[in-house]
Amino acid sequence: MLANTPVSTDTASAPNSVLHAVRRFISKNPFVVALLLLVVTALVNRALQDNLFELRSLNRNLRTFLPAIILAVGQTIVVIGGGVDLSVGAMVSMVNAIFTVLITQESTGLEIAGVLLIGAAAGIAAGALNGFAVAYLRLQPIVTTYATSFLFSGLALLILPRPGGDIADSLQDLYRSTPFDIPFSVFVIGGLIVVWLILRSTRWAQFLYATGGKPEAAYTTGVPVNRIRFSTYVLCGLFAAIAALAYTMLTGSGNPRSGDDMTLATIVAVVLGGTRLSGGQGGVIGTIIGVIILRLFSNIVSFADVPSWWQTLVNAVIILVALAAPGIIRAVQARRSGQ
Amino acid sequence: MSVSLSAKQVVKRYGGVVALADGNLEVEAGEVLALLGANGSGKSTLSKIITGVVAPNEGQLHLDGKLVSFSSPNDARKVGITAVYQELSLIPDMTVMENIWLTHEPRTLWRVNKAAMRRGTRDLLALFDGTISAGLTPDALVKDLPPDERQIVEICKALSHQPRLVILDEATASLDSQQVQRLYELVQDWKARGMAIVFVSHRMEEIRLFADRATVLRNGRSVGTRDLANTTDSELVEMMIEGAAQLGERTRAPLPDDAPVRLKVSALRGARLRNISFEAHDGELLGIGGLHGQGQSELLLALFGAIPFSGSVVLSGKSVHFRHPRQAMACDVAFVPGDRATEGLLLSRSILENLHLPSWAKFGTPLKMDRARADAQRSVEELQLVAESLDALASSLSGGNAQKVVIGKWLLRSPKLLLLNDPTKGVDVGAKGEFYQLLDKLRQSGAAIILYSSDDDELIGLCDRVLVFHDGRLTAELAGDQVTRANLVTASMGAHPAAQPQ
Repeated sequence: MLANTPVSTDTASAPNSVLHAVRRFISKNPFVVALLLLVVTALVNRALQDNLFELRSLNRNLRTFLPAIILAVGQTIVVIGGGVDLSVGAMVSMVNAIFTVLITQESTGLEIAGVLLIGAAAGIAAGALNGFAVAYLRLQPIVTTYATSFLFSGLALLILPRPGGDIADSLQDLYRSTPFDIPFSVFVIGGLIVVWLILRSTRWAQFLYATGGKPEAAYTTGVPVNRIRFSTYVLCGLFAAIAALAYTMLTGSGNPRSGDDMTLATIVAVVLGGTRLSGGQGGVIGTIIGVIILRLFSNIVSFADVPSWWQTLVNAVIILVALAAPGIIRAVQARRSGQ
Repeated sequence: MSVSLSAKQVVKRYGGVVALADGNLEVEAGEVLALLGANGSGKSTLSKIITGVVAPNEGQLHLDGKLVSFSSPNDARKVGITAVYQELSLIPDMTVMENIWLTHEPRTLWRVNKAAMRRGTRDLLALFDGTISAGLTPDALVKDLPPDERQIVEICKALSHQPRLVILDEATASLDSQQVQRLYELVQDWKARGMAIVFVSHRMEEIRLFADRATVLRNGRSVGTRDLANTTDSELVEMMIEGAAQLGERTRAPLPDDAPVRLKVSALRGARLRNISFEAHDGELLGIGGLHGQGQSELLLALFGAIPFSGSVVLSGKSVHFRHPRQAMACDVAFVPGDRATEGLLLSRSILENLHLPSWAKFGTPLKMDRARADAQRSVEELQLVAESLDALASSLSGGNAQKVVIGKWLLRSPKLLLLNDPTKGVDVGAKGEFYQLLDKLRQSGAAIILYSSDDDELIGLCDRVLVFHDGRLTAELAGDQVTRANLVTASMGAHPAAQPQ
């Protein structure tokens, strides 16, 4: 029998069985770390802002977070499948522009429903373009989606050359409402989690994790790897359209650059939420927590009178650390075994 | 549940490399057919074609007398063909049960039924009761399992599809003897139930234990099928190695005892290497053998400074510790990588550029192209390279000629120590012959050559001495008459110390 190397290294690095159990728990529930981080950020934020936990302030915060949360859910699905989508922000801009141009104060309910379908179709089409290029043409996800982001940004500017528009108040009112004293956005977040849990229980999810985890093995097993990759980008496009709807309802107007700075945030949130950028592992709940941490953090930055570029810097550092971590760990292990 | 499968004249090419030139086999319900052949003889390619992982370029598959063709592993599985693969087809980050039931998860409505999955997994694992640890549970993550238990999960995964034909592709390689015994009992049961089994292995002992008949592959061709009961090992070996005559007899004069030591390695440890010590002499062709992936490539990479290691290396009388290939190159060490397409050649660049890639420094700034051209032309003639022109793209070369460029670019630097990482894999027999002449010329010029080959015949035919690796260790050093197939095979198993290192 060959040496049981994985087992022996495990016991060597975690002689303490409690520590081992903790590590196991974390590896099974990667969002636990994010949850702890959330508590810390929230407490710091609370110290700077007394009314943080009051309904009005909670509502205002969560509803401004919501577009990024919805968008990051789509990003998570792509990342689990082994890809990444750098065009998510541009898709939001594009669909936001569509909504703003087509919805006015006079729009009837039926008209609005029609426009929502158009927006959803636009998001899905954009995602399908990404998915087709990545899954079937085998193009690099990063390069492809970076390129298509310019296409979507351009379309946004074409549809809505400058910020403006005035969409139906009813939509804005709904978005700000607090039925049963619970912010509307909490219902949406709850809905996202339910949708995720349903998706997670399907065969599609098994295929998703297999595709992201080890595509060759998945293919050999008969997983339709290309179709799964394609579907992650399509779903991501749909979530971008929903995020655009949330943004439109939040601001009541349109901006062809509305999604620009959301892309990086979604990726940082995915990482913070415990999903590995190389794919095959992680989940949506962690990402939702990740977005909230990020946004609370920028609250702290603005309350503490720290220059706002700190936020960008910290985002960049989180991504770099997440990207470099596997390489650093490998290098350390190689050095150790070489001695 | 009777089944029969036959493959006829199956061909598979990867670019210019022929992995399978003429694959044939027939297997019937209730029998175990062994696929036998040296490393790289096309066994794995043939089994991947049968399971739909690889699409053949030519040839036919008949299942129960009907012509079939598979465009994906799913197609093959639908008609009852599955495989236990040598390179495991498991997803490390998923649990045992998720892996086993992947693509055919039990479901209630749209939901994957975890309880049913767990039950089914327990039933399958129960087949191996007593030979597996308590850690192998349906909810364990595959990445936390030791290699033998991963292999068992892989076997359970194949069984979960209730196949009619199973291919066991080196499925016993990481199992211990108890587990092999259990698998043997299971196979007997499958035979009794009318399943057909194709058993791919290069361990004679296990082939004798498991199989009824054997089809032998050599250089991508099926060279015959024998009843194992009335065939001796040496007859089978002969079928596997015929053509070794190409290498000529071992008529070379033995290396003089006073040949200077070019390289002395002591207590080298690294990624997979455990305490390796040996010497290589000027004018010596030192072979490295053993089963695939026992640390041979890692040794060469370490010597070339491409991966970190510890231990002492004395080259040309000087103690060295290369941390980058450039340092090794500066000391006249050359390395010919195993995978031509990814490591050895810039496929989209010309032959000229490929030949001079390691030696442009010789030609000054700006580059003296006339001289470079003349040099390249000379080496093309020396290598007997068949190519349109120096400016033809490397991708236009056939397998054998491409290999010559890979080696030629290092010969232009006249190395003192040449490291070769399985250089003739997938090269056709004729081209191999020319390559051997090249090696011999270099050897006569006084260079020390270390050749890792997965082809035992090469080691026997070419090398002055052979070091045999098993699991990162040197298990034997064979010299002169000791370099026989029997000794190589024995030493590569690591278990039978018939020929001990000194």
